[in-house]
Amino acid sequence: MIAFIVRRLLTGLVLLAAITTFGFTLLYLGGGDIARKILGESADAQTVAQKSHELGLDRPVLAQYGDWVAHAFSGDFGSSWFTGQTVSAAIFSRLSVTLSLVIGTVLVVAVVSVVLGVLAATKRGWIDKVAQLLAILGHAIPGFLFAVGLVLFFALTLGWFDPTGYVPFTEDPTGWVKTVTLPVIALALGGIANVTQQIRGAVIDALRNDYVRTLRSHGIPERRVILKHVLRNAAGPALAVLAVIFVGLLGGAVIVEQVFAIPGLGQVAVQATTQGDIPLVMGLLVATGVIVIVFNLLVDLAQGWLNPKVRLS
Amino acid sequence: MRFQKAAVAAVIAAGLALAGCGGGGGGNTGGAAKTAPSLVLGNIIPPQTFEARNLNWGNQSIYFQAVYDSLLKPSPNGKDVEANLATQWEYNADKTILTMKLREDVTFTDGTPFTAEVAAQNLLRFRDGTSPQRSKVVDMVNAAAKDKNTLEITLKQANPAFLIYLAQAAGMQESPAAFSKSDVQTNPVGSGPYTLNTGSTVVGTSYKFDKNPKYWNADAVKYDSLTINVYNDATSLLNALRGKQLDASAINDVSIIPQVKAAGFTDNGSSLNFAGLMLFDRAGQSNPALGKVEVRQAINYAVDRDAFLKAVGLGFGEVTGQVFREDSPAYDKSLNDKYKFDPAKAKDLLAKAGYPKGFELTIPTAPGFPKQMWPLLQQQLSDVGIKVSYVDVGQNIIPDLQSKKYGVSYFTLQRDANEWQLISNLLAPTATWNTFKYQDPKVDALIGKIRTAEGADRDAALKELNQYVVDQAWFAPWYTPTNFFVTNAKTKVELNQGNAWPNLWNITPKA
Amino acid sequence: MISPAHTTDPEIVVAPRDASKVSLFRRVLRNPLAVASMGFLAIAVITALFAHFLAPHDPNTAVIQNVLAPPNSENLLGADGAGRDVLSRLIFGAQFSLAGALVALLTSMIIGVSGGLLAGYFGKWIDTAWTWVISLMMALPTIIVLLAARAVVGPSLWLSMLIFGVMLSPAFFRLVYASVTAVRNELYVDAARVSGLGDGRIIAVHILSVVRAPIVIQSAIVGGIALAVQSGLEFLGLGDINVPTWGSMLSDGFTNLYTSPMLILWPALAIGLTLISLTLLANSLRDELERSNAPRKQRRKAKAPAATEAEAPSEIIRHEESGAPDGEVVLEVTNLSVGYPSPDGGLKKVVHDVSLTVRRGEVHGLVGESGSGKTQTAWSILRLLPEGGKIVGGSIHFQGRDLAKVSERDMQKIRGRSIAYIPQEPMSNLDPSFTIGSQLVEPMQIQLGISAKEAKERALSLLARVGIPHPERTFAAYPHEVSGGMAQRVLIAGAISCNPDLLIADEPTTALDVTVQAEVLDLLRDLQKEFRMAVVLVTHNFGVVADLCDRVSVMRLGRIVETGPTEPIFESPRHPYTQELLGAILSEAEPRGPLVTAGNSASPSPKGAVR
Repeated sequence: MIAFIVRRLLTGLVLLAAITTFGFTLLYLGGGDIARKILGESADAQTVAQKSHELGLDRPVLAQYGDWVAHAFSGDFGSSWFTGQTVSAAIFSRLSVTLSLVIGTVLVVAVVSVVLGVLAATKRGWIDKVAQLLAILGHAIPGFLFAVGLVLFFALTLGWFDPTGYVPFTEDPTGWVKTVTLPVIALALGGIANVTQQIRGAVIDALRNDYVRTLRSHGIPERRVILKHVLRNAAGPALAVLAVIFVGLLGGAVIVEQVFAIPGLGQVAVQATTQGDIPLVMGLLVATGVIVIVFNLLVDLAQGWLNPKVRLS
Repeated sequence: MRFQKAAVAAVIAAGLALAGCGGGGGGNTGGAAKTAPSLVLGNIIPPQTFEARNLNWGNQSIYFQAVYDSLLKPSPNGKDVEANLATQWEYNADKTILTMKLREDVTFTDGTPFTAEVAAQNLLRFRDGTSPQRSKVVDMVNAAAKDKNTLEITLKQANPAFLIYLAQAAGMQESPAAFSKSDVQTNPVGSGPYTLNTGSTVVGTSYKFDKNPKYWNADAVKYDSLTINVYNDATSLLNALRGKQLDASAINDVSIIPQVKAAGFTDNGSSLNFAGLMLFDRAGQSNPALGKVEVRQAINYAVDRDAFLKAVGLGFGEVTGQVFREDSPAYDKSLNDKYKFDPAKAKDLLAKAGYPKGFELTIPTAPGFPKQMWPLLQQQLSDVGIKVSYVDVGQNIIPDLQSKKYGVSYFTLQRDANEWQLISNLLAPTATWNTFKYQDPKVDALIGKIRTAEGADRDAALKELNQYVVDQAWFAPWYTPTNFFVTNAKTKVELNQGNAWPNLWNITPKA
Repeated sequence: MISPAHTTDPEIVVAPRDASKVSLFRRVLRNPLAVASMGFLAIAVITALFAHFLAPHDPNTAVIQNVLAPPNSENLLGADGAGRDVLSRLIFGAQFSLAGALVALLTSMIIGVSGGLLAGYFGKWIDTAWTWVISLMMALPTIIVLLAARAVVGPSLWLSMLIFGVMLSPAFFRLVYASVTAVRNELYVDAARVSGLGDGRIIAVHILSVVRAPIVIQSAIVGGIALAVQSGLEFLGLGDINVPTWGSMLSDGFTNLYTSPMLILWPALAIGLTLISLTLLANSLRDELERSNAPRKQRRKAKAPAATEAEAPSEIIRHEESGAPDGEVVLEVTNLSVGYPSPDGGLKKVVHDVSLTVRRGEVHGLVGESGSGKTQTAWSILRLLPEGGKIVGGSIHFQGRDLAKVSERDMQKIRGRSIAYIPQEPMSNLDPSFTIGSQLVEPMQIQLGISAKEAKERALSLLARVGIPHPERTFAAYPHEVSGGMAQRVLIAGAISCNPDLLIADEPTTALDVTVQAEVLDLLRDLQKEFRMAVVLVTHNFGVVADLCDRVSVMRLGRIVETGPTEPIFESPRHPYTQELLGAILSEAEPRGPLVTAGNSASPSPKGAVR
């Protein structure tokens, strides 16, 4: 078990190295005159050159990358070139925002999809039709269109929620609900569409298993058969989709954070990448890489917990 | 859509801020001792840094006016300055030595007292830093404390706009104890009316300030707390305004103005800038055709300014044909009609210049510019025979222009209220927006005259310069877009003719 | 199929090897929604192909007088913010948007399919390398890569779709990889290999054919994603102004949302309808694929009912009782009929007028070939017919109640408590996710209302009773950790745990090894005697019947053809079918004796094959 985790983390480290090398190369190719971009058009050439030197941009790319790696290993990811904030502070202050969006969405997706998917699989009939319709709509409506629609209707017309911004839960729980609800719904639609279908299929598959009949033959109530046994066995495949969705949500958060002006990682990612804020983008690549690796590890551990066969092998 | 716009717009706007000049002193406005609880502002860019020696201006000015005091204060008219940390100032005869008397009752929020020595350090650090505004003070040879509250600044040559610079980024005063602190970029220590609340600030997105309880000029502080939120795109800004989340905001994208007004905001407008084609390559280095004055004039004739104001500027603004402001002595109303839309004349001029079949022209595009303009511009120029191809340079627009990659570009540039500032920004051989550093003996002579002349002589020289630049078609100005600063029912504002943002103390609660 | 390294995408459907793909698409054509989707997609593709002829104007010609013009005779759908004809842009938008999506689709398909084939088929280092590259792609934030790439290569629709295609390739990779690893070691692939077929041909002929249909489905999904992301990128302002796409129209519409709200409608409709069509098409393809899969699955797992219509009912041959039957009647089935809905909306009967009586302490064998309706009869007594199955006639009297009529709620109380069930396949009838102990304890707690502790004690003693050597260890084990014979003993223990009055045993030994069969039969006999249970024993094995049953009913095509005490039927079978069945086993008995008379090998009684 521990060997498994250690091995996975080591692979993760190699993966991170590959990601950062790739990212660094890409950013340097597209960088252009970064010092000029930082200073804007009113700065004179001398100031630009001085800034370039200050940032070490006049050194060979390899040396710059080496520096970055050396510092990164000691936990120093530098400071943003465009806001002066240290990269770790920039990421940590925004991580909680994005994670509360993404985790909230995953929870909503999981709960709604399980309820809908199980109902659709066991009851069939109209609720199945509704689930199918939802799946089609979820696939057909681009998330950003849906988000804009939500703002127009629920925030601006009805005034139930805040159209923009983010209030931390610790500061004001009501404000948190008001700012987080619409983005979560916007993010969740596609996920619900997808996962509901998966759970429906997984439950139908699980229901076809012989042991379901045997469990029923023991007089175990239908509800218990489904909620305890069928769902447990359908959870494996469902979890696999959720893991895929989670990674997708990290990307989807970019657009939703733009629409709702939420200070999350996605917002900063778009800005940092387009500006060429290399320290910040590198930090973001590491952060998302770590999140994805850790999350996948957790999912695999959960898979092991759910499926005793995997656990032992 | 609008998302990317903000980023480039921010870069552009950051540089548009320069301000006027002039002498004079004066006290503070206001006088209400009572403060309103909070002010929430919307902005389109965050501050790049709070480190005083590297400060920028323009749309970022509002953050720095909150935490720092400058030596002088800019007047709303964009030309004059008022007393602030400096109470009195005078130039020597040849205007190369400036002596200032400074306040003695000011301490920074960390308890360090403000002195002439501190002011001298701040000025020199700014001159040697990497602020985009640094070129404004390159004329400064030295700054030194003559005594505890007397500061002496030595200039290489007279600079008619120097005082206004001391009312902007260059004049901001930071506690010397903060100079070497590691968090100096995000945790400013000044003597200003507010202090940055680093705990609830999200860098890049939302900046929270608390009232400085020990501020020396308590009357100037109107609010207990100040919040400035950054919106990357016009849609989310509009949503925030419609959702009543903001008291006031600068508006970058005028297309949302009707909705903002419908949401109950007042659209305070001023016309700081002009929009159009900048014909930078007047010597024809990048494209020989541009070296011909007839070609540049043909480009002026080819574009229907009224239609562009309507289609691109959405009707917010006035058509213009020159770069000087209406209130300037250089301004000549008749110049606006010099290149009245006339495709036939444009064709004639092209033929006369040796391009009867037209020529090919590459123009850079960037995500921040109005999208609907590109096909229209392409169409109108091709109607007279100029075949335009676009290159999308993304965020590199400014670096690419500065490195002479493109001879012609669309841009929106500031029409400074202070003529000297405008000249050193747009026309002088060293001007930032004379990207090809084009030099013309007649222009040089007129600029030399303007530097020293006063009164009617100066006015006449300005008029002649304007006339010459229009005749030579250095630009193809289309219209002056209106800059909007919107305020809700409980907030009032006095706009700043020298900057995109009003001064912080000019945003006040309505009685 | 599921390896821990590649968590299999549940969306993956492995095609049946024998299903004809040609007919799959033909069958899809019967689905009206699928036809409508394909119709719309066809229109879109034709529009895209012939945009030059269809569009009334050049899509990029800007007419300044027409800025935001409402629909008129010149511009049928009006003009956009730059005075360009909306209809023409919509038509050309189809061309560029679909072509862009196609670029992404083809890229991801080529990379994903070839990678999946290579990694799945050859394994070893190719597998490791590909798996690694794929996980790298999945860990990279797509949007950041696209933004950074745009900074490098500029705003090219084609290049960004190419890059997006690369980022999407895991979708195909995982699909193909899972399918290929599943079939790689199948016998027919081995056979092909042995017969000297090259790897290339094996991949082309045998493996590609397996994944072809799923790839088509995945393509519809991936194509949709590519189109959606393309418009999302344009929404973020990353479009190419020289290329008219639906996404750029959407973005233009957003800019003018308040002044000309109609501008957003057309591209949104075009994108939305295309996405809906692709989704519907993928869904119906998948449904069709599952449907063609289903019968196989059912036959294997659930024994789908066989057709039994044809034959006219003949007289049931009843053998006389040797003496007056003793013991109370526990179960009395009268004229039971079971039916399933047929595709044409009618009802297909699989059990006709079956009647049987079982008394306390009596073992009643139901014998017949597969598809004879014996299992259906057994399940209907438990009221556990597969989905769709219904008792359409007759009654099942048990303890004074008609089970055909009691509520599901009451039935739950009867199942397990009064009627127990022993299934055929021991391994698939235990829930793999729970320990054996918890599966034994759960019904006891529910049915007997005893405490967890008491239930555990009882479960342990039951395990000991059914002959499990280390009850504690087995109690804590998961099903996959015990052998088939052990599992069957566990199931038997579970069945008798609540002292049922009636035990339904559905081929309880068929899936077991020969030696184990005998032990299990012994156990069953002992338990039956000990608890004096009534037993309905479903089997096709006359040896088992001879060994255990007091009475026997022979079933054929859903009907009982001959019934009576075991001995007379064995001695003088009268129905030709019974004779045939008995003849078959007796002739087989010579060389493979133990297999048929399974019980006897373990209990060498002098009774012999026929009692």
